[in-house]
Amino acid sequence: MKPELTDDQRRAILEAIRGKYSQVAAGGAQGCFRYPTGKEGLELQKYPPDRLAQIPEDILASFCGVGNPFSLGLVQAGESVLDIGCGAGVDSLVAAQLVGPAGRVVGLDPTPEMVVRARANLERLNLPQVAFQAGGADSLPFPDEDFQVVISNGVLNLVIDKEQALREAYRVLKPGGRFQVADMVLVDAPPPGEAPSPESWFQ
Amino acid sequence: MLKVGFHRASLQSYTGFKTAPQTEGALFYGEKPFDPGVVKDLEAQAEKLAEPKTVECAPGGA
Repeated sequence: MKPELTDDQRRAILEAIRGKYSQVAAGGAQGCFRYPTGKEGLELQKYPPDRLAQIPEDILASFCGVGNPFSLGLVQAGESVLDIGCGAGVDSLVAAQLVGPAGRVVGLDPTPEMVVRARANLERLNLPQVAFQAGGADSLPFPDEDFQVVISNGVLNLVIDKEQALREAYRVLKPGGRFQVADMVLVDAPPPGEAPSPESWFQ
Repeated sequence: MLKVGFHRASLQSYTGFKTAPQTEGALFYGEKPFDPGVVKDLEAQAEKLAEPKTVECAPGGA
């Protein structure tokens, strides 16, 4: 369902999201979210320890996902993976290990500061199969049927037009491709009387 | 997910990560069918199954 928002509301939401995630890009995820982040979050979500060991701890510290998309299905050597809303790139770097040098991983993020951070992280690792670029989930800059796997972690809840984002994910997947996503869902009613605000679009 | 064409789409589990008292992380999985026609066929079958069945019973319920 596409929410009915004014242009000003959309701008305010997008600015609030960019403001928050540019802070995370600059200073890491610790203290920015109500749930465990960084290496603690990765371990609680049961990311494979041998894969995490290949990534420097200061890079792991930027993880702020809400689940483990890799737990939903095996990503295999040689596959092509799109990480929507990749942030500083932790999930992309894990995917790169799984697909190996014959595979391909693209991390996409709408926050320019995150793309800069992800590229800086990548420069420290020998993973030529990974690339990071800027872009939004509702207009993916890729041709049809370009990837075998789409992953995303705590991102689609931030997207204003979620149906459009899902249509785009479907479009870029190859036939037989898999959509493996962790995201936030509403499990209870919001507190009564809470006034909507751009900051309440995300927590 | 079903609306845009994914099949085998489901919420698989909750992750335990809560961003607020009323929100929680969840894992979603879906597949793009090899043959989009398969999805349409399933939809057609579902429509037929939605029609009520009438069965004539012999006297006595058999």
